[in-house]
This record gives sequence, C-alpha cells and structure tokens, in this order.
Amino acid sequence: MTYRTLSRRTLLATGTAGIAAAAMPPLRARAQTPVGLQLSWLHSVQFAGSYIAQDRGWWREAGLDVSLAQGGPNAPVEPPVVSGTALVGISAADYTAAAIEQGAPFRILAVAMQKNPFVVASLPANPVNEPADLMGKKIGMALANMPVLQALCTLNGVDIDQIEVVPTQYSAQPLVAGEVDCLLCWETDLPVAMAIQGIESLTMLMADHGYAVHSQTYIATDDSLANRRAELVALLSGEVRGWEAYRADTDAAAALTLAMFPDAGLDIEIQKLQATRQVPLMFSDLTDANGFGWWTDETVAANIETLALLGRTVTPDLWDRSILEEVHGS
Amino acid sequence: MTAAIPAPTPRWPRGLFSLALLLLAWELAARALAGAYVLAAPSDVILHIAQNAGLLGRALRETLANAAAGFVAGNLAAICLAAGALTWPRAAPVIAGLALLVFCLPLVATGPILRVLYGPGAGPQVTLAALAVYYTTFVPLMVGLRAAPASWFDLVRSYGRGRVAELVHVRTRASLPYLFAGLQIAAPAAFLGAMVGEFTGAERGMGVLTIRAMRTLDVTAIWSLAVIAAAVSILAYAAVGRLATALLTDRPPVILSPPVTPAHTGWRPLADAVVVLLVAVAAWWGAMEAFGLNAFFAKRPDDLWQALYMAPDAAQTRATLTAALRETSIYLLPGYAAGLALGASLAVALTLAPALRPGATALAVTLRSVPIVTTAPLLVLLLGRGAVGTIALVATMVFFPTFVACIHGLRQAPGQVLDVFDSYAAGPVARLWHVKVPAMLPAFFAAARMSVPASVLAVTVVEWLATGRGIGSLMALSASLSDYDMLWSAVVVISLLSVLGHAAVGLAERRVLSVFAAEQVAV
Repeated sequence: MTYRTLSRRTLLATGTAGIAAAAMPPLRARAQTPVGLQLSWLHSVQFAGSYIAQDRGWWREAGLDVSLAQGGPNAPVEPPVVSGTALVGISAADYTAAAIEQGAPFRILAVAMQKNPFVVASLPANPVNEPADLMGKKIGMALANMPVLQALCTLNGVDIDQIEVVPTQYSAQPLVAGEVDCLLCWETDLPVAMAIQGIESLTMLMADHGYAVHSQTYIATDDSLANRRAELVALLSGEVRGWEAYRADTDAAAALTLAMFPDAGLDIEIQKLQATRQVPLMFSDLTDANGFGWWTDETVAANIETLALLGRTVTPDLWDRSILEEVHGS
Repeated sequence: MTAAIPAPTPRWPRGLFSLALLLLAWELAARALAGAYVLAAPSDVILHIAQNAGLLGRALRETLANAAAGFVAGNLAAICLAAGALTWPRAAPVIAGLALLVFCLPLVATGPILRVLYGPGAGPQVTLAALAVYYTTFVPLMVGLRAAPASWFDLVRSYGRGRVAELVHVRTRASLPYLFAGLQIAAPAAFLGAMVGEFTGAERGMGVLTIRAMRTLDVTAIWSLAVIAAAVSILAYAAVGRLATALLTDRPPVILSPPVTPAHTGWRPLADAVVVLLVAVAAWWGAMEAFGLNAFFAKRPDDLWQALYMAPDAAQTRATLTAALRETSIYLLPGYAAGLALGASLAVALTLAPALRPGATALAVTLRSVPIVTTAPLLVLLLGRGAVGTIALVATMVFFPTFVACIHGLRQAPGQVLDVFDSYAAGPVARLWHVKVPAMLPAFFAAARMSVPASVLAVTVVEWLATGRGIGSLMALSASLSDYDMLWSAVVVISLLSVLGHAAVGLAERRVLSVFAAEQVAV
C-alpha cells in the first residue's frame, strides 16, 4: 500500500495527530468532534487528498468526524467559514485578502497549490506562449478576472489595451468555436476537457510569468485558530497525509474520487489527467524539503507583491504557519 | 364552441409527423454546427441517455423530488397569500408588494444564506424551487379571484354573508382557470428552480451534472440533461392542462361589472408603499437577526446605510452602482417588451392556427425548463453578444409566463358572446379581436406585472453570462470578492427597479381594465 511510501515527516505528523487525539478527553474523542471542511468547487480529484484522508479513516482515528461540503457556482467558501458551519475552507490568497478587507477574520494555514493554476489556454494554430503574444488577440474570460489579466500585463510589460476581452461563460466552447483566440482558465479544468475531447491546446502558466498567488489555501478564522487548535492540527495532518498518498498514486486517487461520488457524473479519464496535471502545481522543491502545504517568507513576499497589483494590500501575518509547523513537527 | 377542448383524435398523427420533422431538423442543425460544441444531435442524446441511464435516473429522482416539494410549497404559499389578500382587502397591496420584493431576491444573494441556514441537504433547492413559482401563481390567482360577475357577489350579500363566504362560494370557483394558468407556469419553473438551486453546493442532481458537463465540454451530456428537463416539464405541464380541461367544464361566464372610475385618493397608494417599505425593512432585519446570520455576508439595512452614505468610499460605491444601473437599464426595457410581445403574440397566433399549438407549446416549455447556461451558447453563436443577442436571451427567459397566461386568458371569452358571433357567422379574426383579446386583457396584465421582476432578474443573469456589464456582472463580482455590502446594495437597487416597473404597469392596467374588466379594479 501507499502507506509505506510516506515520508518520515508525515509519519511524525501522524504521531502528532495521535497525541492531539489522546490529549482530548476520551469520551469526546470517542464521540468524534464534528468538523466541516468547505471545498471551493464540486467534488473532483481537485480535493482527492481529503477523500483519501476520509477513506482511510485518518481523521476518525484523530477523533474528527469530517464532513466535506462541496462548493458550486453560487456556494462561496467564505460565508460558511465565517459562520462556523465549516471549520476550514479552501480558498485562495486573493479571495481571502478581499474577504479580509470586508472584515472577515481569516488566516491562511496551509497552501495546497504552490503555483497558481491560472493559465492562458490557446490552440496550436494561434498560440499564446508568452504574455507578449496576447497583444492583438481576443481573450475569453469572466470580467471578474480583469484584475488578474491586468496584473499579468503589468508584470510583463504588456499593454492591456492591445488585448480584446470577450466576456464569456467559464467553458472551452468559445475557444473551440473560434469566437476567441485564447481563454483565461485553470490548468486543471478546461484544457483537460479539451484534451479528452481530442482537441490539442497549449497553456501558458501565469505562475511562470511572475503571477504569484497561493491557491487552494486552507483558511480558518482567528477565533478557531485560538480556540480549536487541536481540531485544526488533526484536520490538516489528515490533509497532509492524504495529499502525500495522492502524489504516490494519482490514478488510485482518481479511482477513489469516482468510487466516493458515484452520482457526481465524473469521468475517470478526465479525473486521471486532472490528477496528474495538478501535481506540479502542488509539489515543489520547497514542499519536498519542508512538507506539503509549506511556504516561506520569500514566497509570501512574492504573493504580497502580486496581490498589490490586484489591488489588495495585505501583510505577512495573513499567513499563520503555526498549525502546519505542529503538523510537520518542526 | 370554446377554444378549450379540440377533439384530440386527428391531432396525433399530425403531431407525430411534426415531431419527426423537428427531430430531423435538429439532427441536421447539430451536424452542421458540430465544430462549435453548442448543440448535440438527438441521436447522440438518445445514445447518451441509454448509456448513462443509472446516473441520469438517480439525478432526475433527486431533482424531481425537490422540484415537487418546491412546487407544492410555493403554490400553497401563493394560495394562502391570495386568500389572505382577498379576505382582508386593506392588506392586499401590502401583501402583493412584499410578495414582489421576495421574488426579486437573486440567487447570488440567497444561495449562500440558504446553504448556511440549511446546511447540507435539499433545503436550499426546495426553497429556491418554491421561490421560483409562488409569485407566478399568486398574481394570476389574484386576477382570477376577482373575475366573477358582480351579480354573484350581490347574491352572497343578499344572504347577509361576508367576505369569507364570498371567497368560498364565488371567488374560488371563478379563480380556477387562473389558478391552473399559474400551476402550468409553475411546473417547468419549479424544475428549473430546483436545478439552479443545486448551484449552491448540492451533492447530486441534474443541476450538478449540468455544471460538470459545461466544464468538461461534454455537449452531448449537456443536451441530454436539457432533453430530460424539458421532457419532465412538458409532461407536468400537460398533466396540469389535462386536469384543467377535466375540471373546467363550465363555459366562462359573461362578467358584467359596473364601470368604475379610478377614483382612489392620491394618498392611499403612497401610504401603501410606505407600509410595504417599512414591513420589508423590518422583515429583512428581523429575519437576519432571528436566524443569527453573520453580518459578514447577511447585510442589514443599517450596514447598507453605512456603506452607501457614511463610509469614506460611499460616494464611489454609489457611483459604481449608478453606472451599473445605467448599463442594465439599456437592455431592460427592450428585453421586457420583447418577452411580453413574444408571449402574447405567440398565444394569439396559436388560437388562429391551433394545429401548431402542440409543437409551439412544447418548445415554449422547453425554453422555460432548461437552464439558460445550456441554451445561451447556442443563442450567442447565432445572435452574438450585442444588443440583439442580449435582448433575445432576456426575451427567452421571460416570455413563458406571458404565453401561458394569455393562452388561458383567451379561453375566458364568454360562451354566450361567442354564440352571438357564431350566429352572425363571424370569422376567426373578428372573434379574436372583439371577444377573445378583450377577455384576455386581465390575464395579459397579470403577465405584464409578473414579467417585471422576471425580466430584471433575467437581465442580470444575461449580464453575468454574456455581456459582463451592468448590475448582474457587478453582483457576481461582488460575491466573488466577498463585497456583500455592494451585493446587497445591488439587490436593493433591482428590487426598487422592479417595484417602480410594477407600479408603472399597474397604472396602465387600471386605465385599461377600468374599461374592459372593471371587476379587477373595483376593490
């Protein structure tokens, strides 16, 4: 089983979780503390690390009864986390920064996607390989993402007025139909859909061109961070173990996702491809050295710079590594 | 004879023939547009449904159960509201005003609140299905409850009985045709409401599968879901229609009412408006406090007052809202007018050419039961993202209630009057113009009033989907940036817009109906 391939660090984390569970009153541990994890989108392999933790009972062992609430087009992450319906939510640094400006008391506890998954996808006949190629092209995107495009242009000295923006639904259809030349989307969804449909596409990862925004971040409120630390540690250590197991066998993670959500209409080929394509976004030399979810002062500084271009002013204390440090035992 | 029950026998072969023709045209269109990924061929759709019968069946069962629960709850609420308004006429304008305001709430604002209130499960889907139907039943029902000859009320009063007896013995019977119009409008709307309700984070159902299929560019799956949604809605629509023809065997009466001059004092409507406003603000505030909703996303009236008038950036917030409102209003009136005209003219045309009715009705129900996210790419491809495409999308989303209400309204042509026309061998156009269209007017104005909030919501959805401008886009953006002050301010703006539009239609209605259907105006 993949369990044997786990790193020393993760095993340590298990130990920590075990201690955390042991530290709780036995009755309560047996009763299982109910905890909500609010996902940012519909169930898919995007959250397979959580499914593995759930499936193998790692949270149950730690005394947590975790319910995974899926997101959706009209299911934002922030309200359930603020209300306490969910202990932890999956967000992204830019959304979290915006919510904080509106008075939400959030901290980022861990970073699942080290590299932001935003790409510009295009077709080989009319490729966008670097930001300068955007000039003179029609890009399909939600107008809500204008700040993202603006930031990319600023970072790379591209005149945004040279780009024609077409407001589109979040779908590869306008690109395939030739209505636009390229799309602003995620590396792991629309390009995967096109590949499965037999349409070859190119992606330019914005993170490779200076766009540094932590994505799929774990957020919790200040209050939870102060008063529910044991649960947070147990939840995140399950996540860490889950994602390590995910990395060891992404095909198995895809299969588990389908098995757990038979009514979600998932396609195994799409899930497998998506699972492999998100690995380079989630794991890096940094996580190899320090463990899943890690960040450093340097990556935070880069995030603060990009967030400033998005019109968000944040300070380094938006990120709180104390839970993750406890999980990784450092 | 009345237009209600044509003999069914000769219609079937012709119906089958048109169905085959339609399928052939659809197949050819899909093959021609294959590269654009906007339309799947019926052959592929049938194959997909057969291959995924288990998955689709489970999704359908889930959505259908939620839609049915919402249908029952929403229509019961409408019936109770209407009965309350008629037994206590002084409260009628307030009840109608509040009903309108609740209908104006967009999914982008209600979705997160319902999910936090209900947690996981079907609660939000059922609630949104109920919210999608109650108003379009309430409005025609109010018209129907008044559509009785004055002499019947005189009879009740001559027995010394009061308003409750009136309601039970006279109004209920008179309202049935209008109630059935409401129920027919509700059938596809409940299904669509339940499907869209699943966008709030539901675990399973047809809406969840639709979102998935949109993302994976699985056009066959998208259209399979659309076909199932349409088929279920057409069946429900037809079943309500059958029930109506079985129960409504009496010929519509001649409603002779003493003409009224709209002689209400200038102050009463204004006082009503103030009461509605106060009750609405109190209910909004009270409900949020009662449920203990966090002020981060559930903004109270005083939060908005702060954001719009007190905060340092208040002027900028107001400017953003005004700019968005201006962009929205460009498409609102044309979209509203186009939807209303389309619905009414289709209903009138079908009385002149009844052979086309089954096909056209099926198409109309389909357009109302399939989420706009499915049909929008096709319409955008055909008509573009400019004014024509935008107005067409809005019209598509709002014409259905008008169409159904007018169909039922045209049937309210009094039997005896038509007999007179028969005896003079008057042609169909003369009967239409002199009898049926005047009989349709109360239903038409009901539709015109229902369509006001519907078209405001439709414009905001189209803005979010296709144009990326205006209030709709601003609401989507605000929700994603947790700017709930802006989101709720936008909700207030579109509510006020709907109320103003509603009042304008109401003025026109009083003018016209005081001549053609005085019983509607004299309360």
